[in-house]
Amino acid sequence: MSMLDIWLGVLQGLRITAAVTAYGLVFAVPFALVFGVAQFLTTGLTRFLITAVIEFWRSSAVVVLLFVFYYVLPVMGVTLSAMTVSALVLGLNSGGYASQAVRAGLQSLPAGQREAGMALGLSRPAILLLIELPQALVAMSPTFVNNLIQLVKATSLVSLVTLTDMTFRAKEISQTEYDPVAIYSALLLAFFVVCYPIALAGRWLEARVNPETGAPRGI
Amino acid sequence: MGFNFGFALSTIPIIIGAIGTTLLATVLSCLGASVLGFTLEMIRRGGGAPGLAVRFLIDFIRSTPVLAWLYFLYFVMPFYGIRLGAMTVGILGLSLYYSGYLAEVFKAGIDAIPRGQQEAARALSLTRRDTVIFVIAPQMLRNIAAPLGNYLVSILKATPYLAILAVPEMLGRAFDIASETYRYAEPLTVAGVLFLALALIISYGVKRIEKLLLASGRR
Repeated sequence: MSMLDIWLGVLQGLRITAAVTAYGLVFAVPFALVFGVAQFLTTGLTRFLITAVIEFWRSSAVVVLLFVFYYVLPVMGVTLSAMTVSALVLGLNSGGYASQAVRAGLQSLPAGQREAGMALGLSRPAILLLIELPQALVAMSPTFVNNLIQLVKATSLVSLVTLTDMTFRAKEISQTEYDPVAIYSALLLAFFVVCYPIALAGRWLEARVNPETGAPRGI
Repeated sequence: MGFNFGFALSTIPIIIGAIGTTLLATVLSCLGASVLGFTLEMIRRGGGAPGLAVRFLIDFIRSTPVLAWLYFLYFVMPFYGIRLGAMTVGILGLSLYYSGYLAEVFKAGIDAIPRGQQEAARALSLTRRDTVIFVIAPQMLRNIAAPLGNYLVSILKATPYLAILAVPEMLGRAFDIASETYRYAEPLTVAGVLFLALALIISYGVKRIEKLLLASGRR
């Protein structure tokens, strides 16, 4: 196989890589929004419990978490496909990180924003949805782009639970071709081609959103 | 089959027995990543062709998954006749991967020191070496302590990747038990809990040190 054949072979796994990422976002986005907002709004015991759930997902090692759910859920009588388990674990891990950006974004808004909403007679949910969240999410959008890149990279783990993503394809090809240099370079290059444009988009976004702080580099 | 708590408890001492390997891999990878990251940042600061090359290398590392780097080193180095143990390859891989992130940390830490500090040191006729040791380094260390601590925790959470290269750290040990007993759920859950506990303890320690440093920086 030529270098190009190997690279195209690895790219055959892009469909699964993209599917796990998209399916993971289905878990990540709602989790980040709901838990980030909940951590911002609550106090006392409720906040402690919400923080505990977030910490479970973001402080656990994602490699271990994936294996735990993959092997423990069936024992508990819950049978999910490898795809669903992967999307759930990678998605909620990444959602855990993003929830902290949501909370930090809300906390960093000046109190005057909320007070102005109250002076206008808006209800608390209306203030949150119409005033606070739009500003916080825009300000934090470069961080969300970074979280997305981390999610795409983390999908390489699904090769360990039988899904035929790009990493799995590289290992498959290495069983018939003894050319580790070409195969694993092709794998790195394949991820670079996917993630680097997202990183550049993130930098562009950063320059738009926070022009005065200069652009902290993305990825 | 169900989840056997008695069996799970019996695996705890065996898996904790591998905590030394996990911590050693964490500390050595963090040191390696710091040295390499600082070197990369210094070359990037130097500018010119090497600076541009390093800038691209850092972007490339950050756009590619750590698993792909581990496979790359593990399979490519023997191809060129370099035979190293799995643990060494793993530590090299984690050092290389995280150096891309730590280079950014050093960059931000140095950029945050006001220009006047260097000018004041020159006005006091401090030598170049004394300026770096007594003026720049202490302030940089205070600036980077928090992000460096966070990356220490990230590296800890990445060490279970080494189990894939058959390094006998905690996850590897859990898989050993699983393949001997054909019970995966219990040892993996124990490994998951231990990694979470370790990550939370180290995060807490990092936050304490961060607070102490902040207090010592105030005058």
